[in-house]
Amino acid sequence: MAPEVGLSRSTFAKLSPHPYLLANLEPSDDSIPPARSNGRAPFEVRKPTVNLSSLSHAHGSALVRTGDTTVICGIRAETILTDHIPNYRASNTQTELADYDLLVPNIELATGSAPQFLPGGPPTTLAQTLSTKIYTLLHSSKLLRAEDLRIWHNRPAEASFADEEEGAQESEEKEGEKYVVAYWVLYIDLFFISFDGNPFDAAWAATVAALRDTKLPQARYDPDREMILCSRKNPKPLAVESMPISCTAVIFTGKETKDQPADGKFWLLADPDTLEESLCDETVTIVIDCTGGSRKILSISKHGGTVMTAKLLTSKEFLDWASKRWEDFASAITGSQ
Amino acid sequence: MADRRRVNGPGSSTLPPVYDDGELDAALRRQRAPDAIRPLYLKTGVTPSASGSAYLEIEPREGEHGSGMKLTCTVHGPRSLPRSAPFSPYMVLSTHVKFAPFATKQRRGYLRDSSEKDLSTHLETALRGALIADRWPKSGVDVVVTIIEGESTRQDAVERRVEEWDVMNVLGGCITVASAAIADAGIDCVDTVSGGVAALVASKDGKDASIVLDPVALEHESILAACCVAYLPNRDEVTNLWFKGQLPSPASCNHQSLVSRAVQASRGTHGLISASLSEAIGSTQN
Repeated sequence: MAPEVGLSRSTFAKLSPHPYLLANLEPSDDSIPPARSNGRAPFEVRKPTVNLSSLSHAHGSALVRTGDTTVICGIRAETILTDHIPNYRASNTQTELADYDLLVPNIELATGSAPQFLPGGPPTTLAQTLSTKIYTLLHSSKLLRAEDLRIWHNRPAEASFADEEEGAQESEEKEGEKYVVAYWVLYIDLFFISFDGNPFDAAWAATVAALRDTKLPQARYDPDREMILCSRKNPKPLAVESMPISCTAVIFTGKETKDQPADGKFWLLADPDTLEESLCDETVTIVIDCTGGSRKILSISKHGGTVMTAKLLTSKEFLDWASKRWEDFASAITGSQ
Repeated sequence: MADRRRVNGPGSSTLPPVYDDGELDAALRRQRAPDAIRPLYLKTGVTPSASGSAYLEIEPREGEHGSGMKLTCTVHGPRSLPRSAPFSPYMVLSTHVKFAPFATKQRRGYLRDSSEKDLSTHLETALRGALIADRWPKSGVDVVVTIIEGESTRQDAVERRVEEWDVMNVLGGCITVASAAIADAGIDCVDTVSGGVAALVASKDGKDASIVLDPVALEHESILAACCVAYLPNRDEVTNLWFKGQLPSPASCNHQSLVSRAVQASRGTHGLISASLSEAIGSTQN
């Protein structure tokens, strides 16, 4: 180790972060293994820890911590009568979740989780992007089944006044027929307690963990009061069988300008922290689900830069890394149940 | 007009679940002695990127799961004020108190409501008296308290309108956690301020009034008055005092005794802050 001259490590990192990270990844001395500025190997991730059911007011909750990123997710269920849904169609049994907006994820970063996120203003672009990404992925991954959110009611057998006035049409309906009277709406609120890079992976893992933890109360419709009544006994858990996990990596090219040659050297840094995120333009996020032994890719998104090729994205190493990360998260989530 | 920057959910309003069967555990009475405060857990340094941070958990009741209070606080600064800000010879303190949407029985929105603004103002006065603001001219400090879990879990809390008393406890918690976070940030203070609450409780018909420390509204038939103080133990000074309620006229106890009991509660809390902070110092030195 060279004697310390001039600047300390942390000062160097602040003054010129780019060469600092490069020097760490490409040590001048061969005896030192390349590492990132946070001491991790390029593909090394921060181990996630998950805590379930820590909130008593929410129907389901999870706290996920990866390194210095901590996010808490609380899920609250509220009911909405189908009469109050403007575009309600009884025949729609396929796209209820999206059509009626039954899932409401929101991310709050402005808890002072990092110096750049202070309360007082509207949600930042990052918070809006994250909320939208979670929203999209919730729907596209088909994590939840609409039937878990339906509240059924048996139409009473006796004819009401309305039937007599309106004539044959309604009385033709089968007596004692079962129909959906209301839906549960899940408000999924994610609060960042501490922010140190890679918010999406942590937020998504917290969402999945909290949904698996969610228990909805038994509900029934009271026609006299025209409202939903619930019972405290035997809450029913949501059926969440799949476990999609998001894995993010950034690409560090060692250059500060974007116009790099195509054959340039690059490093894939898994699970980036704030410093690395600020230095890299190219991000790749893969959402996979290895439940039941088979590897299913739910989404791949890649932004900025041109380094990551299709070949690399489908390479065995990359997918194996993602599977390994899935196992980390899956065991953390199921282990805490 | 809905906020387009958030995911708003269904257009028409949704209802929180209404339960028609009673609470699972109906009768709850205070088990603690009248002058005992609930156990607390305080940890500093939960948000490494902030200058200072703290997490406070107030345990619900002995041996019971759930409820209680959970708060986090982050302190950012002192840092230079934006160019547009006018010159200030003192440190500019700004406080934000926010309930998480899942913190209380009723879901709260993301916009700050009046009770949160009120709490922020109280917290600001409480801290301002403790900070040595003239050591940091032209700089600003942001204190952000997030209430992850507030009190009044139970349905009858809403029905009996006792939430207004819980605000006192929340403020006491906010003061304590913010004080620990400021100490963690290393901002000069004359003393660590701590919050304490005392209340005058009575049975249903208003008889047998007595003063208890750290009241949980649900454990009492009725609360006549409550008082929350922010107190500096080493200087014996009160930086913020919030008193509400009505004292019965043939007062066996007056305002002063209620305030002094609240001070006693904050003395108890102060012991905990010091213990937690010295523990944090000890762990960094080793």
